[in-house]
Amino acid sequence: MRIDYRIEHPLRLQARFEVEGFTVLLGQSGAGKTTLLRAIAGLLPAQGEPFGGLPPQHRAVGYLPQGYALFPHLRAWENVAFALPRGAQRRAQAMELLARVRLADVAEHYPAALSGGQQQRVALARALARKPQLLLLDEPSSALDAATRDEVMAELISEVHEFGLPVLAVSHDPHLAAQADSVAVMSAGRIVQQGAPADVLLRPGSVAVARLLGHRNLFSGRIAGHEPGAGVTLLQWEAADGALLRLPQRPELAVGQVVQWMIAPTAVRLPSLKPEHHRSDNPVSGRVESRLNLGAHFQVALRCGSERLWLDAHSNLVRYHGLENGSEITVDLRSDGLLCWP
Amino acid sequence: MSALIDVQAADGLPRARTPALIGALTLLLIAGPFIGLAFATHWSDFHFAAGDRASIGVSLGYSLIALVLIVALGTPLAWWLARQAFRGKWILEAIILLALLTPPLAMGILLTALYGPYGPVGGMMAGTGLELTNSAPAFVLAQFYAALPYYVVAARAAFEGVPRELEHIALTLGKSPWQTFWQVSMPLARLGVAAGIALAWVRALGEFGIVLILAYYPQGIPVKLWVNLQDIGLPAVYPLLWVFFLVAMPLPLLLGLASRRQRLF
Repeated sequence: MRIDYRIEHPLRLQARFEVEGFTVLLGQSGAGKTTLLRAIAGLLPAQGEPFGGLPPQHRAVGYLPQGYALFPHLRAWENVAFALPRGAQRRAQAMELLARVRLADVAEHYPAALSGGQQQRVALARALARKPQLLLLDEPSSALDAATRDEVMAELISEVHEFGLPVLAVSHDPHLAAQADSVAVMSAGRIVQQGAPADVLLRPGSVAVARLLGHRNLFSGRIAGHEPGAGVTLLQWEAADGALLRLPQRPELAVGQVVQWMIAPTAVRLPSLKPEHHRSDNPVSGRVESRLNLGAHFQVALRCGSERLWLDAHSNLVRYHGLENGSEITVDLRSDGLLCWP
Repeated sequence: MSALIDVQAADGLPRARTPALIGALTLLLIAGPFIGLAFATHWSDFHFAAGDRASIGVSLGYSLIALVLIVALGTPLAWWLARQAFRGKWILEAIILLALLTPPLAMGILLTALYGPYGPVGGMMAGTGLELTNSAPAFVLAQFYAALPYYVVAARAAFEGVPRELEHIALTLGKSPWQTFWQVSMPLARLGVAAGIALAWVRALGEFGIVLILAYYPQGIPVKLWVNLQDIGLPAVYPLLWVFFLVAMPLPLLLGLASRRQRLF
């Protein structure tokens, strides 16, 4: 489903993108994500398609705000039945929807007696009862505790896949984006990038997008020259003692130009166990500042000049090199992992 | 302060004695006049003066009509004030405040000036045969003015307490604004609205000043109490007062109980 909305008030924004399956719209707090959802639901004045110009009660959308907004004076099944027409089948239909989100056993409970995840599923069932063409979720992962968040969200995503509905979830949580079918990124009042999560997460289109996605290895440097023969552009990392980095050729960048660049922590490599694999694109030396043991992996922070470079490495390799806080090590910044923006 | 802390209340929290002590004292102050009334009443010679029975009917019947009018006209106003933001809203608020703080006697005079036979509205109405002084409609009108502002203030606060998001969600679930009002706003505001109705009832039934000026006839209980005092004396006041309590109490009491009983959420 194509979304094309223009909003003037309370903030100016323009959003044009595709909702395919479970789509996450990423943006910073205050970027207007909730405003966009409310505009699509018809709750504030805006121009756009779909549903343009219709009052909210005539728009076939299911809207789940943050906190879910269940009616506190109605039991779980009555909340679900709210949108259903009066009649003999009303309760049976509501119970069926509750059963589909696996909550039939709490049908008689009031919302105050339900957990956050349960409230979310009741709100989902309530929205589905309206037979929407589009489901709008506002920060669906924010009210859930960290321990169960990924699981609850995976469950929610599989549930909405089951119903075969396009879903637009707005969030500032890159974690959630990784689980989506499609990711769109909003910055400065417009959509700056959209694609499959793997593409967007690995290849952010700008430094702003990279920041939104939670990337840590973001630095600035200066273009030092081009080597057309070797197909590389040289980048000088002045903050790290002027280290010279090679990246796939970017002829549009002028020599001397200051650029932003990043590298994923997985593209920062420790020297290999096998000496025959000692091929190095961009050797950079640093001192280990901290190590985070994640079981099979380590996250290691290296101090390189005045910057901190994160790398993600296999535990065996970290042990083999005997990395402790304070150890000196030379790592390789893989050329194909280097991203650079003017 | 530890001496003032009782061992443990039923919910396991320490129970402070100071508020309970002061509370009991305050309650005694409130109850004082009624305890006095119980002793002052000649129970052995309990009888009514002529016209007392009629005044009970007048008070109950017309207060009920006034209450229906107050709820019917006051609820939309309260809703509007609670939900709409617009320039100059403070002027509307000032008008309601004005109605609240005008002394009843003065209000009676102002109403007579407007609705009396020589007033602009009263003169017009007299042409259609509707008299707005010393008549049943005048009585209802006096009570309406006495109680309406109290109801509007209470109902407005009640509507303001309903989260707008819930009303918005009801709209996205396909309900019209009218259905949303009845299925979401009203149930969630009912505690405050019920309190407003109870307050309006008490104000309307007990109103003396405005009624005295605008509608001396037909005589409701408050005016009849005054007439009894003037014509017969104290012994004729107390029996009617007991009846007043008896007929005025049930509605607010029941409203309070009914709206609280369903407080399950």
